[in-house]
Amino acid sequence: MLTPLEQIAFIVLVVVCLGLGYRGFSRIIQVVRSGGKTEPFDHLVRRFINALIDVGLQKPVFKARPIVSIFHAFIFFGFSFYILVNISDLLAAYVADWNTIGGGPVAGVFNLLADIFSILVLVGMIFFLIRRFVAKPDVLKYNPNVKLYPGVSAGGIRRDSLIVGTFILLHVGSRWLGTVFHLAASGHTDPWLPTASLMAGVFSGLSHDALSIGMHVSWWLAMGLIFLFIPYFPRSKHLHLMVAPINLALGRETPRGVMGPVEDVTSPGAVTLSDLPWPQILDAYACIMCNRCQEVCPAHQSGTSLSPAALEINKRYFLNDNAKYLVKGGEQPSLLTYAISEDAVWACTTCYACVKVCPVGNEPMMDIIELRRQLVFDGRIPDELAEVLRGLDEKGNSFGESARKRSRWTRDLYFEIKDAAQEPVQYLWYVGDFASYNQDCQETSRKVARVLHAAGVDFGILMKGEKSTGNDVRRIGEEGLFEALAEDNLKTLADGQFEEIFTTDSHTFNALKNEYPRLGGDFTVKHYSTFILQLVKSGQIQLKKKLNIRATFHDPCYLGRYNGIYDDPREIMELCGVSIVEMPRNKENSFCCGAGGGQIYMKEHPDLTQRPSENRIEEAVALDAVGYFTVACPKDLTLYADAVKTSGNKDKLVVRDIIDYVLEAMALPEPAPAAAKA
Amino acid sequence: MRIIVPLKLVPDLVEELEVDDSGRALDTEYVKFKLNEFDDHALEEALLLKDSAGAEVTAMAVVTEDADKLLFTALAKGADSAIKLTGGEPKDSHQLARMFANAIASQGFDLVMTGVQSVDDRDGQLGPILATYLGIPCISVVTGVQISGNSVTINKEYSGGVMAEFEVDTPAVLGIQAARQTPRYAPVSKIRQIQQTTSIETVAAGDLGSGAGSEISHMSRPEKGQGAKMLNSVDELLEVLKQVGLV
Repeated sequence: MLTPLEQIAFIVLVVVCLGLGYRGFSRIIQVVRSGGKTEPFDHLVRRFINALIDVGLQKPVFKARPIVSIFHAFIFFGFSFYILVNISDLLAAYVADWNTIGGGPVAGVFNLLADIFSILVLVGMIFFLIRRFVAKPDVLKYNPNVKLYPGVSAGGIRRDSLIVGTFILLHVGSRWLGTVFHLAASGHTDPWLPTASLMAGVFSGLSHDALSIGMHVSWWLAMGLIFLFIPYFPRSKHLHLMVAPINLALGRETPRGVMGPVEDVTSPGAVTLSDLPWPQILDAYACIMCNRCQEVCPAHQSGTSLSPAALEINKRYFLNDNAKYLVKGGEQPSLLTYAISEDAVWACTTCYACVKVCPVGNEPMMDIIELRRQLVFDGRIPDELAEVLRGLDEKGNSFGESARKRSRWTRDLYFEIKDAAQEPVQYLWYVGDFASYNQDCQETSRKVARVLHAAGVDFGILMKGEKSTGNDVRRIGEEGLFEALAEDNLKTLADGQFEEIFTTDSHTFNALKNEYPRLGGDFTVKHYSTFILQLVKSGQIQLKKKLNIRATFHDPCYLGRYNGIYDDPREIMELCGVSIVEMPRNKENSFCCGAGGGQIYMKEHPDLTQRPSENRIEEAVALDAVGYFTVACPKDLTLYADAVKTSGNKDKLVVRDIIDYVLEAMALPEPAPAAAKA
Repeated sequence: MRIIVPLKLVPDLVEELEVDDSGRALDTEYVKFKLNEFDDHALEEALLLKDSAGAEVTAMAVVTEDADKLLFTALAKGADSAIKLTGGEPKDSHQLARMFANAIASQGFDLVMTGVQSVDDRDGQLGPILATYLGIPCISVVTGVQISGNSVTINKEYSGGVMAEFEVDTPAVLGIQAARQTPRYAPVSKIRQIQQTTSIETVAAGDLGSGAGSEISHMSRPEKGQGAKMLNSVDELLEVLKQVGLV
């Protein structure tokens, strides 16, 4: 028990520290509330219960870096249990005879857990300090061209980590030592306190007075530090332990492939921090600065100036410095001046890997799209992108080609494809720009047509009436053009008679499936992998030959990560007799080809070190005896066919579409030249 | 400074162009039209002047199916007003110039900036004829404009990369070859917004005059040649010259 003077001193300390900390916390709430609107949250109770369960099981943390996550779990579970330990220690300070040592079995179990968790927390924390200050892994470094807020480049994260680390070591270490002193003073060990008992012998030679002082000092270090830390807490990344569960509970529940609407059409997107929807301001406070998002980012890996981690961290450091001016309604600088550079905004492939991997539910990608929306509205876009957007506006395709040439690829078929704008069809094939206009992809499109024709499927295409669905246009930030394209397409689709839509383009699939329903387009939409698989299973497509080859499969972002379709293309491959060898980064963790979000239309970043597609090819080449790299997205076919050549792996790997396997396995007779279309 | 930018729609060259049944004109029934690229540069240069020296920019176009979108796009890019000319179908650059001159004369202006030529007729005449009708000077193949008080400094490009600088008193007509930077992008959301909030002024075409006095008698695709033969030595060349009887 504390002396009366100590008891009063502690209460004064608590009041002062809570008072000092209050301002910091209330500012955070005010800053977050300054953000823009978002779609209302429903089912708050369920959301919070689920978030607490996930956090309790450490699920968001174990999405990546399993070893680091184990040490994080040590600290997490230790700290969670320490809530009870701290309450008990408070009682011990103010309630006479409150003592868990030497109590009954309940107190014994409590002591055992406290003893074990103390060691686990200390081990975890020492691991993290060694990692940051001795091992210094590359994942904690940024590309030299990444924009960093002055406080960040001055080593703010290291300083914060050191402060937090020291606090945890002192807090938990002192508490554990206090127990050691207690045992040393009592002169005997306690089987419920195995590690403290081991240490108690070391101090057994000390006088009772010295041990008593030791107990008081360790109590003050353990309990006093908590409250001393509170005023610093709102500035520290350690705040994540409070904000992360809230951020996870408030996570987006709409499909990943739906983008948030533009709130103000006269000034779309974001210039300043407060222009962002408020959950995206909260992101900055939830961020634990682990750089996992940066580690999976194809743009950062290829040497560009984009780091989704730096974006969140810069936001946070800016807020730490400026929150008190912001809450008074002070003028805010553009995010582009401190959070992210303009060229980095244009380097994002919108692959969603950063959002998916984040252990605290942050969405840096969404910030980038908000920034793009405003840049596009100001006409500040790369010239080559402007050219493509103009072409899309005038002609409805990203190739700037005549709409009338859209169905030209069908000319080389030996049969006619139905014009779904003119006659009813069972299945409407939405071909997409790449599969229609790109020469290499046209060949793949013809193979799809041949497979369906041979299987007797009643299908048609919209010919020149089809326009780009605008999936990537929307992710470039050109909201108006996306709406215009969608309106035109929805009108065309409304005039057609069909039962279902299927598409060979995963970007098109995402727009039709997720974005168009919000604009009134309610269709059954399937990716061709799902569609073909069904036809195979129903027996309409008959696979006669087993290919007996080993191949790997590349999950397209907009099919896999965005829409959760991983198995259908793999099942088709297996049914064709292809044995699948997975790349280390597969399914949810698939590595983006680098083409999405408008990248395929843009020049390469001047600092590019390696194309994401080449990085991916190297991953595939490293697999054992795999000769085929399989894709299910037209852009991938061209990109990877190039990457195989430019990375010098032409002799090792052949890029194939899943339809290549199907066609080959069907073992169709080659159409004789005489049978060519009349 | 008030700048008027006459804009013209031309057939989009990515389309397959065909000659109509008369054999004297393009079949325009299925052809898509787009803004003449040089006019886009003229508009950009005018908007750059507005940004740097503060000018009032008016875009002008002859009424056609796509003219509204063209003019709303110009407004979205930053033009202050837009005028469409109705009641006339100019058949050549003389009549088009007359139509623009009628409208421009009724407006106060300091500069008329138009594309140096257009991809449809390749006349390069609109600027000079317009200047003639308006009775003011004209400079063509302009690649840069700067405003200094009542006069403007013009950069003009000659063959072989020779550049000249002119001081021109306003009012004047300028035929723009290229703006100092790539024409800016007009976001569709802004165009749509302007469509709802701004209106385009309409001005009657007036008398178009008799035109150039020349007529197209025949229009056809270029005939395909036989293909070139690559020669590898002087001896081979001599052989060929001997065959055709030149040596």
